[in-house]
Amino acid sequence: MRQAFSDSLVRIADADPRVLLLTGDHGYALFDAFRKAHPDRYINAGIAEQNMVGMAAGLARMGFRPFVYGLSAFVPVRVLEQIKLDVAHDDLPVIFVGDGAGFVYSHLGTSHQSLEDIACIRAIPGMTVLSPADRHELTAAMDYAHAAKRSIYLRMGKADLGDVHASNSMIDVTRLQCLRSGRSGGTVILATGPIATTALRVADQVSGAAVWTAPLIKPFDIDALTSICRSAGRLVTMEEHSVIGGFGSLVTEEVSAIHPLPVLRIGVRDRFSEHCGSYDYLLREHGLDLDTVAAQVKAFDARN
Amino acid sequence: MPIGTLQMAHADALGRNFLFEDMTMQAARDPSGFNLSFDPARLRRTVLDMAYAGQTVHIGCAFSIIELLAVLYRNHLRFSPADPKSPSRDLLVLSKGHGVMAQYACMREIGWIDDDAVSNYFADGSMLKGLSDSRVPGLEVTSGSLGHGLSIAVGMALGAQLDNSDRRVFAIVGDGEMNEGPNWEAMLFAAQKKLNNLVVIVDENGFQAMGRTDEIIALGDLAAKFAAFGFDAVTIDGHNEAAIDDALITFRNDGSNRPKALIAHTIKGRGVSFMENDNIWHYTRLNEETYRDAIAAIGVAQA
Repeated sequence: MRQAFSDSLVRIADADPRVLLLTGDHGYALFDAFRKAHPDRYINAGIAEQNMVGMAAGLARMGFRPFVYGLSAFVPVRVLEQIKLDVAHDDLPVIFVGDGAGFVYSHLGTSHQSLEDIACIRAIPGMTVLSPADRHELTAAMDYAHAAKRSIYLRMGKADLGDVHASNSMIDVTRLQCLRSGRSGGTVILATGPIATTALRVADQVSGAAVWTAPLIKPFDIDALTSICRSAGRLVTMEEHSVIGGFGSLVTEEVSAIHPLPVLRIGVRDRFSEHCGSYDYLLREHGLDLDTVAAQVKAFDARN
Repeated sequence: MPIGTLQMAHADALGRNFLFEDMTMQAARDPSGFNLSFDPARLRRTVLDMAYAGQTVHIGCAFSIIELLAVLYRNHLRFSPADPKSPSRDLLVLSKGHGVMAQYACMREIGWIDDDAVSNYFADGSMLKGLSDSRVPGLEVTSGSLGHGLSIAVGMALGAQLDNSDRRVFAIVGDGEMNEGPNWEAMLFAAQKKLNNLVVIVDENGFQAMGRTDEIIALGDLAAKFAAFGFDAVTIDGHNEAAIDDALITFRNDGSNRPKALIAHTIKGRGVSFMENDNIWHYTRLNEETYRDAIAAIGVAQA
């Protein structure tokens, strides 16, 4: 997914001379291709994220198209007020890319783990929020973000979990994406981000389960959700993010108004990580590993 | 064609550029049109009228920057009276949004704000807020949460530099606002990129919300701090219009590639003796008596 990000960024910058890349001294090898192709449009703002976002707002006001890159623990969470006031208030065309969302920087601890970013950014009026599941959704999301000319947050989670789509040629990121259809009255799993790979493996173990991804969290594809709710027996949401305020919260809020159904929200409970460990270790600590998730979904499927 | 081309401009005897000469001259000839003299007493009268009509606070914050704004609008900012959003305008970022009534007063002189907006200030459903709001044509940023504006101004100055444009960016920050960390991030970056099209003006009135800056977070010698961060910095009397003008002319013509800082010694509440250096006028609303007394002190019967 990171290669797809770099490729997309270079391709978009090749086509649009107003595109700039701002980074808060992050992305060491990630921007080699961009720096080679467009050295004058690579701006390292230093370790100063608040100033970086304010500058991006100023640059957007001068007609530039900044991509602002950071780890999602910092962009958007650390700079939330700059995004709200300096950028989103006027829907300036700034694209915030939050990398390493979830437990990607597992060993580094709480400062680099990012499980609140969707909840924070989603509450800001007018913000668009993208959360691609794989490199194909990422590529489509980058094109969408550049074309939309709005204030956008693009969340990049664990980048090496593999593909859920065969290619990006058919992906309309504004729509929920059906990865696997299920039977009427069955369990429908809605996943956002790379945890969609887990969703597919869980569905292997649950008869008649469907799997969809949501590359665009806000604005949300209410039409597709409505149609899913009409035929589903129950919903499961999956995200590598807190169950408070994130994708599961969003789906539950909408479903309660559209067509109430039982919803199981798979995500991080209201707690910080306790121990140091690998990505897989932290998924187990938080109950987001395949076995724990599958057991929860199977029990939910049997009970409702 | 780069934004901000000077093909329309000429320089007067003092080296001041007038980008929109025709419009300016026309306005000066038309007695019913714009008033581009930006007389400080008139500006203060407008502030009083707004503050009284809206029963609002922050009068002292506005009064300390009256002369700074008057000189900027009169002699330095290139703008189009007919179009506050002219794409070639110079940019004035009021980061200390608490002084916004002073900027409204200038905008009224240009004609961007009408008398109804003054008399209906703070009315339900009206446009003009108590802090700077970028949706108001003529204001560039939404400020009031302090420590935002300078970063935006640096981004604008960088954008002008990338475009090889001669557009200039002026950012007004409060001295109390210099408590905020992002200002110092922005200063480092501005010097790194040699943004000599940026002028930071610090309204050094010596007060912040809860008292004297020296007793809260002492700022020391701000000019020395800016110089240490790579700026050309001078300190002047922020109520002396000639001194402000001279400093800004020097900045424009000095040929240096460093960003500029004007440390303006000002008096919070300047112009009305019972408001001067009394921080209660950060918070106090005018009543009929203080409104009348303040008008008498300013000596302008009608703005």
